Amino acid sequence: MSATEQSFSIYEFYRRLKVHHLSLVAQGIMSQDLLSLIALSIKRRPDNEVIARRLFALVVELAQNILHYSAVKEFSAKDQREVGVGIVAIGESDTHYLVASGNVAQPENAAYVARHCDYINQLDPDELREYYRQQRRLPVKEGSVGGSIGLIEIVRKSGQPLSYEIIPIEDDKVFLIFVAKVNKSLNPHVD
Amino acid sequence: MQGQLVMENFYSAPDIFIPEINFNAQTGHLSISGESYHEYTLEFYKPVFEWLSEYLKTPGRHIVFDFCMSYYNTSTSRRFMEIFDLLAEYQQSGKGTVTINWYYKPEDIDMKESGEEYAEDTGLHFNLIPLTK
Repeated sequence: MSATEQSFSIYEFYRRLKVHHLSLVAQGIMSQDLLSLIALSIKRRPDNEVIARRLFALVVELAQNILHYSAVKEFSAKDQREVGVGIVAIGESDTHYLVASGNVAQPENAAYVARHCDYINQLDPDELREYYRQQRRLPVKEGSVGGSIGLIEIVRKSGQPLSYEIIPIEDDKVFLIFVAKVNKSLNPHVD
Repeated sequence: MQGQLVMENFYSAPDIFIPEINFNAQTGHLSISGESYHEYTLEFYKPVFEWLSEYLKTPGRHIVFDFCMSYYNTSTSRRFMEIFDLLAEYQQSGKGTVTINWYYKPEDIDMKESGEEYAEDTGLHFNLIPLTK
């Protein structure tokens, strides 16, 4: 299973990243140390500090979703516990920054998240604001260690729907993908 | 009769993903500043809640709480709400007074909005203060 046996070409990988305008890809444990490094590299890029912080918020919420909910876990010596692994990529188009995330999930969990996502995607900004505040007031769900309001935050910061995809994979599992975007210029979603 | 228990101050040093927390028991000046995106906010903020709960047992305090955050994740946002709830209860039961100073960079409309939302949701008095530098 080593990289050389698969005849891995880092050049091919590099080219594919370039084609898709991906500037940063991280795979494995989504630790806060990793997030801190991503934060430093993000803060260096967009001209606008608010945009940079929104972009970082998307990364943090997606990465911490993976950490808490991925079906594939690894032992983190630093945290002294099993933590979820997955992949996060940051890219851009002319008008937007984009954050994509992926992790293996149980089909029922992915279906639950998809329903939640469908619901928040059809809310307008005022409804999102109210829903966020209402959810923040509720006690966290059983087995939930995160904020449970991460996806709402993503749609609010992003100013547009959060797209997702669920791909069936081996062992009756699925690969759960999110793609969040944020406008490069301060858009009118905040008055 | 037992003398009044003097509370220790509370201090937690900042790191890249955790804020600096500084609670002065004598003056009632509490502050939290920096960034907060710790993975396990329940664990990280546990000592904060323990200290605050103890501190709020004594009536007659006049608390000024500075929030000077540049970023926090949604998990932290819940912890802040719980902190505000403790403070609001203290004030509403007539035990003492609480003022929140919510600082934000003038261009950071998101952070300003977050402060406004907390103010509406908690009933506490928030001063929304743009940082001058």
